[in-house]
Amino acid sequence: MPKAIVIENFTYRYPDGTPALSDITLSIEHGQKVALIGPNGAGKSTLLLVMAGFVKGAGRVLVDGLEINSRNLKKIRTCLGSCLENPDDQLFMPTLFDDVAFGPLNMGLPAEQVHARVADALQTVGLGQMADKAPHHLSAGQKRGAAIATILAMSPKIITLDEPDGSLDPRNRDNLMRLLRSLPQTLVIATCNMNFAAALADRAVLLDKGRIIADGGAEEIMSDAELMAGHGLEVAAKK
Amino acid sequence: MHHAYIDKFAYQDSAIHRLDSRVKFLVVLVFTAVVISLPRTSPSILACYAVGPFAILVWAGIPLRFAFKQILLVSPFVLVLAVSCPLYDRTPVAVSFGPFLWQITTGWMRCFTILAKFVVTMLALIALVSTTRFNNLLAGLQRLGVPRLLIVQLGFLYRYIFVLIDRAHHILRARAGRRLRNLGFKMELRTAASMLGSLFIRSIDTAEHISIAMQARGFDGSWRTLWALHTHRSDWLFVLGAVFYTGALYIFVRPILQ
Repeated sequence: MPKAIVIENFTYRYPDGTPALSDITLSIEHGQKVALIGPNGAGKSTLLLVMAGFVKGAGRVLVDGLEINSRNLKKIRTCLGSCLENPDDQLFMPTLFDDVAFGPLNMGLPAEQVHARVADALQTVGLGQMADKAPHHLSAGQKRGAAIATILAMSPKIITLDEPDGSLDPRNRDNLMRLLRSLPQTLVIATCNMNFAAALADRAVLLDKGRIIADGGAEEIMSDAELMAGHGLEVAAKK
Repeated sequence: MHHAYIDKFAYQDSAIHRLDSRVKFLVVLVFTAVVISLPRTSPSILACYAVGPFAILVWAGIPLRFAFKQILLVSPFVLVLAVSCPLYDRTPVAVSFGPFLWQITTGWMRCFTILAKFVVTMLALIALVSTTRFNNLLAGLQRLGVPRLLIVQLGFLYRYIFVLIDRAHHILRARAGRRLRNLGFKMELRTAASMLGSLFIRSIDTAEHISIAMQARGFDGSWRTLWALHTHRSDWLFVLGAVFYTGALYIFVRPILQ
C-alpha cells in the first residue's frame, strides 16, 4: 500500500522571493494523526497547500502514491480533503445542504448517493437538523463542524486541517477533538495550540522558518521545553 | 454578528411561501412590466395595482413596516430622479383621482408617477424576496434558463455580502475605538479610503481562498446542483389569480379611470 503523503526535497519561494519552504522531506503513513506545529509564519499552511497541489515548487510530492501533476489532480483531490483555516471561506453555498453536496456532486455521484452522503456527513458533525440553514446563520463552532462535513461527504482517505481550533470556545474545541479522534482517516493538522495537538496527534512535525526542525512522537516533541521555547512555542500539558 | 437579513421572513410558512419560486418570479416580472407601462396621467390605477402586493404581504404575514423600511432604504436613488422632474417640465396637465380633478405641471405628475410606480413595484419585489428563500429563487432562475454564471455570482453575492458587512463593522469599530477627536475632512477622507482599500484587499484574499476551497472539492468550472422544483395546483391557481387581477385592471378599469 502506498504511503499517504510523501514529500521529497521540496522547496518553495513566495512570488516576491521570500523563502517559504526549504528542502522539506516528509513521509506520512495511512492512518497516522500528524500535528504540524510551529510559530506563526513557519510555513504550516503553505505545506498543507503543497499537499493538496495548490502550491508548486521544486521537489516531488506524492499523495496516496500519485505524483501531483495536472493529470492526477482530480484523483488526488478526491483522496485528500482540505479544510481551510476560515470556515467562511470553506462554506460558500447558499445552504448547508448545497455546501456539503458540492464535493460529491463534482465527483459525479448520482443524486441518491449525494443525499445519503450529505445526511451522513451532517449527522457525523452533529448538524443533521440544519441542512436547510444558510451558513451565515451558524455559530463559529457549527461553521467549523460544517466545514469538516463538506470534506467528510467526499470520503477522502486523508484530511488536512488548517488551525481547526481557531476561535473556538473550550466546549466547541472539546467537541471538535472528539469528532477528529473518531475519524478513521489520516489527519494532518496545522496548529499553534500545543494542547490541542497533543490531545489528537500521535506524531508531531515542528516547522520553523520553512524548515523541518523536529519530527517524531507527539508527546516526546511537545514535552521538550527547550525545543518548544526555542521556537516560540509552549509545552503541551500532560494528556 | 446578526444582521437584518434581506430574506429573513422567507423562512416563515404560508400558502404564498409554499408557491413555486418560478411562478412567483414570473408573476412579479409581468406585474412589474405592466405597472411600468402604465400611462402617467392616472394615479388612481396605480393605487389599484398597489392593492395586489399589499394583499400578498398581509397574507404571507410580512410586516408592512418592514416592507416600507426596505423601500426607504433604496429610495434615495429614485428620489433624486423623481425630484428633478418638476424642475425641467412645467407644462400644465389635468389630473384625476377618483371623483377629484385638478391641474398641476407635467413635471410634478412625472415625479409622482415615478415614485408611485417605484413603491408598487418594490412592494411586489419585497413580497417575492420575503416569501422565497434565496436558494429556491436561484434554483427557479436556473430552471428558467438564466445563465449559470449569473446564478453563481448571485449565490456568492448573497453568501458573502454578510461577511463583507461584518468586516466593515469590525473596521468601523476599530476606527471608532481610536478616533478620540475630529481629524478634519481631509484626514477623515484619507482614513475612509484606507478602510475601503483594506476591505477590497481582504475581499480579494477571500476570493482566492474560496477558489481553493472550490477546487479542493473537485470544482472544474461546471456548476452541478440538486435543486428540484415542482409546480402544484396552488401554483396554477396563483398564476390564474394574478393574470386575472393584472389583466382585468389593465383592460377594464384603466380606461374608466384614465
